[in-house]
Order: sequence, then C-alpha cells, then structure tokens
Amino acid sequence: MHEWHDNEPIYLQLRTTVLHRILAGTLAEGEAVPSVRQVATSERINPLTVSRAYQLLVDEGLLEKRRGLGLFVTTGAGNKARTSEREAFLNVEWPRIRQRMDALGIDPHSLLKSEDA
Amino acid sequence: MNVIDARQLVKRYGANAALDGFDLQVPPGRIVGLIGPNGSGKTTALKAVLGLTTLDSGELVINGLTPWTHRAQLMAEVAYIPDTGILPRWMRVSDLVDYVAGVHTRFDRARAEAMLARTDINASRPVRVLSKGMQVQLHLALILAINARLLVLDEPTLGLDVLFREQFYDTLLNDYFEGERSILITTHEVREIEHVLTDVVFMARGKSRLAASIDEIREQYTKLTLTTGNTPLEGFIGRRQTLAGVECIYRNVPRDVLARAGAVSVPDLVELFVAIMEAPHA
Repeated sequence: MHEWHDNEPIYLQLRTTVLHRILAGTLAEGEAVPSVRQVATSERINPLTVSRAYQLLVDEGLLEKRRGLGLFVTTGAGNKARTSEREAFLNVEWPRIRQRMDALGIDPHSLLKSEDA
Repeated sequence: MNVIDARQLVKRYGANAALDGFDLQVPPGRIVGLIGPNGSGKTTALKAVLGLTTLDSGELVINGLTPWTHRAQLMAEVAYIPDTGILPRWMRVSDLVDYVAGVHTRFDRARAEAMLARTDINASRPVRVLSKGMQVQLHLALILAINARLLVLDEPTLGLDVLFREQFYDTLLNDYFEGERSILITTHEVREIEHVLTDVVFMARGKSRLAASIDEIREQYTKLTLTTGNTPLEGFIGRRQTLAGVECIYRNVPRDVLARAGAVSVPDLVELFVAIMEAPHA
C-alpha cells in the first residue's frame, strides 16, 4: 500500500502518482490504467477517491475513457505531464526552495558553480 | 432520502443511558465509520438503527420505513454482522448456504458460492471446525450476497490476522461496486479503514460528538505543529507534545493565520478522535 501524507487530499496524491508514472514512462501513452476497483482494493481507499483522481486526469487531458474498456493514457500525455510539472516546479517548488536557501544563506550562483567545478 | 435517519435516540438500561440523544444520518452510497471508545454505545446504536432493540424515545426511519411496523420488509433491505460469532456451529457450510437461500428473498446463491470459492473454506465441514477468520469470511460471504441497501458491520475484523483483514477489505470493497449500497461500520482499528470511509461519526457517552464527511473534516480541522519558540494560538481543541514539537488541533481557524506559528496539516482520524474525546464537553 501507498503511504499517504496529510498535506494533501488522497485523490490529489493519487493524481500525482499517475502523473509521475506518465513522466517516467512506466505508464506509456496508449496504455490502460488499473480500474477504479483494482486501485480501491489494493490501496484500501474509497472508490470515490479513485474516481475523483481519474476524473481530474481526464480533465487535464492525460487520461481518456474508451467506452467499455476503461481509462487509457492519451497520446501526448507525456508532454502535457512534463509541461504541468514544470509549471508546478517553477511556480510552487522553486520559490519554496529559494526561500529555504535564503534562510540558510546559500547563494544559488555559488551552488551552481561548485557543481560545475 | 437517507438510508438511515435517526434523531435523538434514547435507550436506557436502568440509570444508565446507552444512547442519550443520539443522531445519525446516512445518505445512500456512503461508507460511514462509527468510532468511539468502549462502552460509548456503538453496539446499542447499531442495534437501534436496525430496529433490533426498543427505544425509550427518538425518531428512527430506515429506507423510509419505521423498523417496528415494517420489520419484515426492512429485514429484506438490511444486512448485519454482529461483533460476536452467531453462525450455528453445528451446521455444515453447505447447509447454511441452503438455509439462507431458503429464508432470504434477496440472497444471491451464486454470488455467495463464488465468494466462498475464493477462500479455503470446505463447504462440507461444520461451522465449528472453521477458524475464527474463516467464520468471519463465511458470514461475510453470506451477508454480502444479500442484495441489501444497508450493510451494518460491528467490529468485523476483531481478532482476525493480517491476511484475513486484507481479504476482508478486498471483498468488502469489491462488493461495494455491485450497487448503491451504504455501509455503516464500527471498529477500533481506525487506521486500517480511515481512507475507505466517506464519513465518520465519533461517539461518546451515547451521543454523537462529531458527524462529518472526510471532505468536511479536511476543510474544518487543522493540525498545527509549532516551530520552536512560538506559543500556540488560543482556541485549540486539542494539544499534545510529540517528537516533532507541540501539536495543536483547531477547528475553523484559517490556515494562513495558523501557518504563521508553525507547520499546518490536516489531522488524521486518530489525532482528531483523541482531540475531540479529550476536549471538555460542549
């Protein structure tokens, strides 16, 4: 079972898991994702939570319904996932990292230089 | 229409009130956890909402029916597993299946047999030789094969080992997809079901102390872990010292206000339960 954290509702964490798998290529474009039933039982979470995560991914254009067959990773999902993750990094994560670096007195330029050296 | 609509139920045993103005509303398609300390009235509440006990006062409607006047009709629509093994020990498993098929109009024999086939239960053996885990599996298979709109489970995993617990939740969640069924479940193992639930009811001394959906809890309650040197903001409902620092739980306090004093997150059900149970009586 997945370890959930308390900062975010589980359906968002599920969405992130799927997104990361698409990014990593372990879920290929055109590949089926596990059914709501499979995920709910294996993760022991409410089916509505899984449906909500999948609906979000459908709305984002990363998954699509094929009637009678289930949900599949869309063509172009990899690029979309990369774009949305880049945005999330630049708008959310990087400002946080930057703040932390400032608090610790780490200069980003010198850090990059020391990496190159 | 709610599957269960219970208002101000009172049930007294002598001077003690097992239910002391208990309210419970369960909409269709929900999985509701009824959580409370020993002796808080959970089992009485379950029996009451099934119409299995008389009440001193209160209003109770289940599936639009009053349990005392529409008993037979209601029993066709609800299924119940009590917290103690009640299957007749002398009966053979196959005879028990025959029996339920004979008395219950909504029993789907093929479904029960399919569920039993996934277990190690030998249908020709009597109930008494089955292990506790197998008896629970058998009971669950019989009950889940009844096409009921309400499933009531009292401590269903008590005394089961890890593997049986896994199978229990697998079966329950799998079966849940078969219909718009509501489940009311009591357990002390809050951590193992908290993500399965859509709603929780905390119960103490015969009363509901909190009744909310998981989404409402996420919206209303915040856990603040104080960073060193900060003093907690007033108004917390619970406070405890952990390795991470002092943790306080607040209700309806904006997160951005709390975030100035430390790290904010959503309390899990156990943390919330402890805070609410230890809070002074409202």
